[in-house]
Amino acid sequence: MRVNPNPLPDLLAALAQNQQQINTDLNQIASGQSVSQPSDNPAGAAILTRNADQTSEADQFLRSIGSVQGEMQNADSALNSVVTALQRAISLGTEGANGTVNSSDRQALATEVQGIQSQLLNLANLSYQGNFVFAGTATQTAPYVSGASGISYVGNDNANNVTVGDHLTAQTNLPGSQLFSASGHDMFQAVQDLINNLQSGSNIDTAVNEVSDAYSFVNAQRVFYGNSINQLNAQQTFLNNETTQLAQQQSTVGGADLSKVISNLVSAETSRQASLEAVADTQKNNLFDYLK
Amino acid sequence: MSSLNTGLAIALSGLTADQGALEATSNNVANVDTPGYSREEPILQTTDPVLIGPLTFGTGVTLQSIQSARDPILESRIQQETQSQGQLDAMVSALSQLQVSFTSSSGDIGTAISNFFDSVNQLSTSPSDLSLRQNLLTAANDLADSFNTTANRLTSQQSNLNASVEQAVSQVNQLTQQIAQLNQQISSIQNVGESAGSFIDQRTQLIDQLSSLVDVSVIPSDNSLTLTTASGTPLVAGQQSFQLRTQPDASGAQQIFSGSSDITSTIVSGQLGGLLQIRDQQIPSLQNQLDTLASSLATQLNSVQTAGYDLNGNPTTNTPLFNAPPETGAAASLSVAITDPALVAASSDGTAGDNANAEAMYALRNQSFIQGQTPSGYYSGIVFNVGNAASSANAEQSASNLVLQQLNDQRSSVSGVSLDEEAANLVRYQQAYAASAQVISTINSMMQTVINMKSS
Repeated sequence: MRVNPNPLPDLLAALAQNQQQINTDLNQIASGQSVSQPSDNPAGAAILTRNADQTSEADQFLRSIGSVQGEMQNADSALNSVVTALQRAISLGTEGANGTVNSSDRQALATEVQGIQSQLLNLANLSYQGNFVFAGTATQTAPYVSGASGISYVGNDNANNVTVGDHLTAQTNLPGSQLFSASGHDMFQAVQDLINNLQSGSNIDTAVNEVSDAYSFVNAQRVFYGNSINQLNAQQTFLNNETTQLAQQQSTVGGADLSKVISNLVSAETSRQASLEAVADTQKNNLFDYLK
Repeated sequence: MSSLNTGLAIALSGLTADQGALEATSNNVANVDTPGYSREEPILQTTDPVLIGPLTFGTGVTLQSIQSARDPILESRIQQETQSQGQLDAMVSALSQLQVSFTSSSGDIGTAISNFFDSVNQLSTSPSDLSLRQNLLTAANDLADSFNTTANRLTSQQSNLNASVEQAVSQVNQLTQQIAQLNQQISSIQNVGESAGSFIDQRTQLIDQLSSLVDVSVIPSDNSLTLTTASGTPLVAGQQSFQLRTQPDASGAQQIFSGSSDITSTIVSGQLGGLLQIRDQQIPSLQNQLDTLASSLATQLNSVQTAGYDLNGNPTTNTPLFNAPPETGAAASLSVAITDPALVAASSDGTAGDNANAEAMYALRNQSFIQGQTPSGYYSGIVFNVGNAASSANAEQSASNLVLQQLNDQRSSVSGVSLDEEAANLVRYQQAYAASAQVISTINSMMQTVINMKSS
């Protein structure tokens, strides 16, 4: 059988193939990625695209949780101050209910409770980054206004929910109507009654009981913020884990296995060396050299 | 009864034949590196013997012809494989440019979709915040831009392919013209009984080149050859070539005509086949998918946007987020309809602090409203399709390269010039020549002997 007398094209093709393998390996080492374009691994590229979206979403949830937490912590600490102020009002009322206190002392106590009332008004009109926190969703106007008939609520009864996970939303606020002016538990009315009764000197006990009731109610509702903040913390931990897992998946699918790539590179370089030597050796001699 | 003169004539025929054979060898050696050259073999034959009485005398040797060593079946397989290689080369180069737009980067559609929904979620945490609203509009503009850019890249690549189609057609015409001329030369040489080896080599080379451009069927006939496309459109018949021409259709895509018939859809192989496949199938299908994504996304976002209220508490029934996308070309023309961040409908009841509409908008991120897939899921499907097309074209190209390499090896083993062989032939013919010369010189001295017989 006649053999191909010119092996050079085959050797050059082998050299080109070696070179291509070396280029691919070097690219992977330099970028650390095994999928730098979709054709490198089409299914992997599709997974990486979805993974990038999930990562971006998880990062965004973490940012949103951060924003929501800021607002909620602010609200919670305002409620803490409300509770403290109410405690003070209760103890002032209890002091005024004592039969040994004279009228001018009661006037002084009433004045102090009036101070507490305006402090409470300030707290209930708390604004965070330009939004009134206890106004329901009518966040652009102060929810409590002081008028002839006392302090009234002008916010609405709505609450916002923000998505902070797959199928997980967090309620971000309680409207004032569920905190300070719930029907039957009107805090401002109770404090106003206390002021009035301290001034008149009658039914102080009843007014103190009203304030106590408002105190218990606010204290009970406040648990919402504590629970929500805890829940957000838990979700934060979960999202952090998820981000780590997504990064793990990303590097499993798209990352270059460096030890494998380097060993590929070494073997490609060795075989390129061999091919080069083969090319250099090829057809050094033919029969013409021996016919002198 | 033979004579010395007959011997002389026989020896002379040997000299001539060996000289001719040596010419073949020296031509082979000279063309050792000529691409497409097929080695020549001298065909030696004994001349007819003469019968004299009971004796048969040989009358010498003649160089009947110089034949090129080639295997027509192998050559037609090479031409076929060259066609698919031409097709795959064109596809690989077009697809590797195409997939750049779908490689994950800061400006790709996937990232823009993620960023947009991220900005919606952020707005949801503080729906009346103007800077977050502005942020959402910026992300929406980036999203529209990324669709526009990708769609425009597809279109401009389509017009590049169009230019390549025109170029390839003019190359085809040039080649078929040259082949027709060679056909003429070959038949006129063969008609007078000569060997047209080197012309045939040239023609084979040209047919190989033609095969890399378009699918060619070769129909050999006596002393000539007919070329058609695989579907039967004539390209060359004997000494006549048939020109193809291009003519743009309504959309500006160059269609290929032979005479008055449009043969565009019948060309499936060679570079032209590859170019047409990408231009007329791959890119339009990608454009469709992008349009579907852009228009579904815009339509759904608009329907949520127009159901809400802006920052000032006015219903946004008539202020959609995106300009209504057209039926086709949605991706290329997607644009944001509003510039005032206050007009983003985050609220579903008119109060500025309500985020229910923003939440509804955000819910679209994980809703399967585009052919059963989420926006990001649908986009990742597009990435898969592009990557898969490029990767299978790559794989087929490597396979085709290997096959072609093997076929060329085989061709070379039949037709390639081996210097060892030529050196051996050189020695052989030289020695035969020397021997014939020796015979002549011997006969000459015999003649002398005869002549001297008389004078002595």
